[in-house]
Amino acid sequence: MTTEPIATLLARVDDALAARDRLRRRPLGDTVAALAAAGERWRHDAQLVAELPAAARLSPAMIAEILPHVADALDVAVMTKMLEADAGAGAAERPPADGPALVAHVVASNVPALANPAIALGCLAGAAVLVKSGRDDRLSAPAFHRALRDVDPALADTVVAVYWPGGDVAREHALLRRADVVVVTGRARTIDDVTARASRRIVTHGPRVSAAVVGRDADQDEAAAALALDVALYDQRGCLSPHAVYVEREPARFAARLAGALDAVAMRLPAGDAPIDERAAARLDAAEAEWAGTTEVLARPGGTVLYEREVAAVVPTRGHRTVRVHPLTDLAALAALVPAGEIECVGGAGIDPEALAAALRGRGVSRICPLGRMQRPRLSWPRGQRAPLGVLLGRNDGPVLEVEA
Amino acid sequence: MTLEAELAAAIDATRTGAPAPDFEAWALRIFAHQFARNAPFRAFCERRGATPATVTRWDDVPPVPTAAFRHVDLACGAAEAVFKTSGTTNAAARGHHLVPSLALYRASALAAFERFVIPDGFRLPYLCLVPPPTLRPESSLVRMCAWVGEAFGTSVEWLVGDDGVDVERLLGRLADFERTGEAVALVGVTAAFARVFDACRATSRALRLGPATRVVDTGGQKGLTRPLSRAAFLRECWTLLGVPGYYCVNEYGMTELCSQRYDSALADRFEGRSLAPRRLVAPPWLRTRVVDPDTLAPVPPGATGLLVHHDLANAGSVAAVLTEDLGRPVGDDGIELRGRVAGAVPRGCSLLLAELASP
Repeated sequence: MTTEPIATLLARVDDALAARDRLRRRPLGDTVAALAAAGERWRHDAQLVAELPAAARLSPAMIAEILPHVADALDVAVMTKMLEADAGAGAAERPPADGPALVAHVVASNVPALANPAIALGCLAGAAVLVKSGRDDRLSAPAFHRALRDVDPALADTVVAVYWPGGDVAREHALLRRADVVVVTGRARTIDDVTARASRRIVTHGPRVSAAVVGRDADQDEAAAALALDVALYDQRGCLSPHAVYVEREPARFAARLAGALDAVAMRLPAGDAPIDERAAARLDAAEAEWAGTTEVLARPGGTVLYEREVAAVVPTRGHRTVRVHPLTDLAALAALVPAGEIECVGGAGIDPEALAAALRGRGVSRICPLGRMQRPRLSWPRGQRAPLGVLLGRNDGPVLEVEA
Repeated sequence: MTLEAELAAAIDATRTGAPAPDFEAWALRIFAHQFARNAPFRAFCERRGATPATVTRWDDVPPVPTAAFRHVDLACGAAEAVFKTSGTTNAAARGHHLVPSLALYRASALAAFERFVIPDGFRLPYLCLVPPPTLRPESSLVRMCAWVGEAFGTSVEWLVGDDGVDVERLLGRLADFERTGEAVALVGVTAAFARVFDACRATSRALRLGPATRVVDTGGQKGLTRPLSRAAFLRECWTLLGVPGYYCVNEYGMTELCSQRYDSALADRFEGRSLAPRRLVAPPWLRTRVVDPDTLAPVPPGATGLLVHHDLANAGSVAAVLTEDLGRPVGDDGIELRGRVAGAVPRGCSLLLAELASP
């Protein structure tokens, strides 16, 4: 993939645009069905299953756990509802409205399979899709493309899956300038680089983390188990990974329960091979917390719980399944503890999400969901508070927050 | 005689050929000493079930993270001196090392320096590329330079002042030494040497300092205004100062330790050993474990891990220290430093210069 000449890549983009033109009169319902079927095929792709653990530095058990989650996100009902929310009832029975001809996605690889929703959203917008994979997952996009070709070759022809090392100025300049919309996820430097090379509309998603809240009426054992799963999935590397949890009742006991739950999850979903630098950073953070005076460190094989005796705003940990537990006296105080623009999702147990929605929307949160579901966003997740289809179609829907029951 | 005084005498005696202190025995004795007298350390150990009754090997002593020195006083008695880490961000969060026995620190510093920097016993004039003790009394490096200069130097000059490195004066002194052919010891932070190199290049000056001149630098990349690899540093020493690589000795130390590691090259050359691989070697009273961050167990040979130093000369504070440095074992006696853990608090000797330059 990396040796493909720029001219060849541009020709593939031209072919995808031509294929997109051929589908302009096709009902979007066909696209919905094809995407859902492709997702189901993709999760069984033998090469993907075999090679993704090493590439993504996640354990085989973790990959086996998350592939169905990713596939399930391409749900027919959800996609149909998204189309209808955008273009009214019966939208799936009609061809796409006018929109961008080419959507380019530059996806990060801190977690695998980010290319799947990227491709799906571009297709639902009626666009040809160029998806550039991240370094640590060059497998998911081609695998999804293969699956799509198996179920709907005409739609697959509108997709170009590529990889080149970040910072390849010539490729980025040549290809990203062709796109009507460029969506980029990644670190600040990646975003700056891509922004400098894209010529038209650009949508950026920088680093964020997530948080959780456990209300006084929650079953603490269930909440701890569900939160431990949210922490452990993807080895806490994504923006939906919780780094802090606020607990209304008996936070110290909850911290102990969470430490035990992390151990239990780790038995089923062992951690992958994180680089020495990441593991060292996590160890040193926990080591320092022990001496800081206000923190009790519960370091266990399955992860580390930092029980902070004081209420404080969310401070991300260094990951590696490390989570802070804070006391919380009043749910109404939660929003003030959420740093504006830094928290993507709030998972909760024993809370009324609708009661928190307005305040959390004001802090930049895009999603509230039950604990245990934090790593399973719907395709409709308004990442960065932007409606996923609307942002591709150039609409400003205002800050959006999705509440999942 | 106190434990510290006894150990200082044992270390000092190594300079005249006495055998090194029995590391294992001293380590256990020091652990019991620190467990009894250092309350925060005792609590730390008890949380891990480590007591003098359960710890039977030196490497079972729980290592205290350097971060602890930022939060609590870790000493077994009244401090004769308090040394602070250098760093430009959040001065309040700097680590501080309380040293109850300066005599022990001095004994360790001098014995190690002599072993690895002047194995030939040469007495040289010392040009120190660090601030004088009056300007930075809390710097352990500065204190060490002062001791070394007093003990081994025919003279000591300090070439860093309130405004940083006095490059013109330094180049003038080096030109004097070049003229006379007299060897000199240049001791200081890597960043200061980098400024000298820059000044030499800016004025197209290349010095040929006398044979047996040696360069001792510490601090590495920290505080540098441009990247300078080790290979490039050695090349600059040869090209611009006329000092060959085997006379360039990198020192690895930290405020939290009273002993230091040194580049093996000069000692190896003096002993007639191969200079390869260059590595950081230690005196017999300092051992380093390279450990896995998750388990704190030793990494496989050649693998990178966190460095845990066990320094007997730290008898008055805590002997086992978990650092924020990554390294790998090299040979039977050495380590290679691979850098600091990403996101670790900026610190280090070379930041002495940055501090002087900041308001």
